[in-house]
Amino acid sequence: MLLIENIKLAVNAIRINKMRSFLTMLGIIIGISSVIAISSIGASAQKAVEEQFNGVGAGYVYLMPNWYELDYMTSDMMFTMDDIEALRERFADDIEYSAPYAYNSCETKVGRTDATLTLIGVNAHYNEFATQIQIAYGRMVNERDVEGSLNSIVIPIEAAKRLYGKENAVGETIPATAFGSSADFNIVGVYEIPPSIFNSLDTSTRYTCYVPYSSVMRSDEYFDNLELYVKADKDVAQTAATICRYLERTKRLDENTYMYQSAEDQLVMINQVLGYLSLAIGAIAAISLLVGGIGIMNIMLVSVTERTREIGIRKSLGARTKDILTQFLIEAMILAIIGGIIGTGLGIGIAALGTTVAGTPLALNMQTIFMAVAFSAGVGLCFGFLPARKAAKLNPIEALRYE
Amino acid sequence: MNELINENTNDITSEKFSEVIGVENLIKTYANGAIEVQALKGINLTIRQGEFVAIMGTSGSGKSTLMNILGCLDKPTDGEYRLTGINIKEKSDDELSYIRNQQIGFVFQSFNLIPRTSALKNVELPMVYGKVAAEKRRTRALELLESVGLGQRYEHMPNELSGGQRQRVAIARALANDPPIILADEPTGNLDSRSSVEIMEIFTQLNREKGNTVIIVTHEPDIAEFTDRVVVFKDGQIIEDKLTEKGRASGKEVYKCFL
Repeated sequence: MLLIENIKLAVNAIRINKMRSFLTMLGIIIGISSVIAISSIGASAQKAVEEQFNGVGAGYVYLMPNWYELDYMTSDMMFTMDDIEALRERFADDIEYSAPYAYNSCETKVGRTDATLTLIGVNAHYNEFATQIQIAYGRMVNERDVEGSLNSIVIPIEAAKRLYGKENAVGETIPATAFGSSADFNIVGVYEIPPSIFNSLDTSTRYTCYVPYSSVMRSDEYFDNLELYVKADKDVAQTAATICRYLERTKRLDENTYMYQSAEDQLVMINQVLGYLSLAIGAIAAISLLVGGIGIMNIMLVSVTERTREIGIRKSLGARTKDILTQFLIEAMILAIIGGIIGTGLGIGIAALGTTVAGTPLALNMQTIFMAVAFSAGVGLCFGFLPARKAAKLNPIEALRYE
Repeated sequence: MNELINENTNDITSEKFSEVIGVENLIKTYANGAIEVQALKGINLTIRQGEFVAIMGTSGSGKSTLMNILGCLDKPTDGEYRLTGINIKEKSDDELSYIRNQQIGFVFQSFNLIPRTSALKNVELPMVYGKVAAEKRRTRALELLESVGLGQRYEHMPNELSGGQRQRVAIARALANDPPIILADEPTGNLDSRSSVEIMEIFTQLNREKGNTVIIVTHEPDIAEFTDRVVVFKDGQIIEDKLTEKGRASGKEVYKCFL
C-alpha cells in the first residue's frame, strides 16, 4: 500500500519540478537513447549484411591459392579450365555451379553518356544461386552464351536508365573492352538488386555487369580464383576443404596450397567485427549513463536538503526510517525509469531515422531495450540510495527546525 | 508543592483516571562542545486522560525540550517517561514512529503542512503511515476537515489558505488516527488574535466533547487561560502547577485532587 503512495508522491514531486526533473533525466535520456540507437543500428547493419550474404548465396565458396602460407607462386598453382572440368565430374553430387572468377573493368560511352563497367564473367544460371540478382527484363547469361563465348551482357537497371533513358534496354548494344580490344556487347538482360545498406549509399556511375566468363577469359588462360556453389544439402566448409585437397593431389602440389573463403565464414567475421564495434560504442554510451546517474544523485541530494522540513514533518507524523528511504529511492528510480523510457523512444527514433537513410529495415533488439530500461532503474536505485539514506537518517527535531 | 499534588492525584484517581503521561525525575542534557547544558533538571509530571494542560515558560526554560520528549521526537538522558503506559526509553526509532503515529497528534506553531499537497492529502498523511486503506482514509479526512469547518476547501493547497485555516488543517491532521493525546507547540504563535481564539475554541471543544487529552505549549498567558491546568517552567524545572479558573469551573472529576 505504501508503495503505491510512494509512487504517487514521486510522480507528484517530479511533476512539480518539471524543468528540473527533465534536466535531471537528460543524462539518462542521452545515455539510454545512444545505447538503443547504436545497438539498433548495429542490429540493423548486421541484419542487412546477413541479407546481403543470403543474396550472394549460402553455398558460395571462393577458392584461391593460400597467399598467407605461400612464399612464391608458380604457374601450375593457377587454375585452368581443365581443373574446373575435373571438379564438375568428380564433385557432381556436391557442387551445382563452378566458374573461373574472371572480371574486367572498362569505360563505355553510349551516345554522350560515359560510364564505367565492371564485367564479371559468370557461368550460366548464376542468378539461380546469387539470388540478389533479379532479372527485370530479358534473361541471364545462359549455356549458349558461355559455350559460344558470345558478347552477351546483363546490365543493372540503373545503367539502363542512365545510358538509354529506359528500363528495358534489352536488344541494345553497348561498347565494352574484351581481350584488349573494344567490342559491342548485346544486352540480353536487365537486372535489379533489392535495396540494401551497401548499394543505397553507392551513387557512383560504376556498374556491375554480368557476361559469359568465356567472353572475358580465353579458354587456355590461367586464373587464380574459382567460384563455386555447394549444394544446399552439403556441408559448405567440409566440401570446400575436400575440393582444395583434391586439387592439390591431382595437380601434385603441397598440401595447403589452396584455401577457400565461404560466404558463411565472412558473415561470421563481419558480424564479429560489427559486434565488437557495437560493444565499444555501447561502452562509451554506458559512461554517459553513469554521468546521468551522478546527475540524479546530485539533484536528489539537493531535493533532500530542500525538503528537510517535509521529512521532519513526515517523521513526526509516524513515517519510519524505511518509509522515508523508500520514498526517495522510488523518486530516484522513477526519474531514471522515465528518463529510460524517453531515451528508449528517442533511441528508436534515431535508429529508425538512421536505417531509413541507409535504406535498411529497422531491427530492434528487444533484449537491449528491456535491459536499458532495467539498467536505468538500477542507476536510479544505486545513485538514489545515498540521498535517500541521508533523508531517512535525518533527526526529526532538527529536520523540523530546518529553515 | 507540585510533588505533593502529584502524590495526591496518584492516591485518589489512579484507578478511575488512567495516566497518559507519566514523567519521573526526567533529565535531559545537551553536549554543547565541552560544556554540558542541562535543559531539564529532574522533572516530575503526571497528566491524566481528559486533561487540558498548558505548559508555560520563557524561551530557554526547557518547555520545548519537554515537548519534544513528550512527543517521542527525542529521548530523555535519564529518568522515566511513560506514554499511555509504554516505557519510551526502551523503544527503537521505528517503534517511536509507530507510537507517534498512533498515540500523538501534533500541532505546530508554523503549521508544518506538506507544501504543494492538498489539505485532504495532508490530513490523510498520518493514516498513510498508519496503513489505513485508501477509501477509508479519504472518508475520514473529509469528515475531519468538515469538523474543523474546511469541508469545502479540502482540495486547496496550504499556500491558498489563511493562517487560521492552515492551523485548522493541521488540527484535522493531528486527529487523523484518533490519538488520545494532542500535543500543540505554540499553536497560536503565528496567528492573529481572532484566529487564535478560534483555534483555542477548537481545542476546548475537542477536550470537552471528544475527551482528548490536550497539551499546549505557550508563552502567552491569555492562551493559557483557555486551558484547565497550567504548568510553568523555569530553568529546566517546574516552578508552578495549578488549575485555572476554567479548570476549577469545569467540574471535571480528574481535577478533584487539585481542589
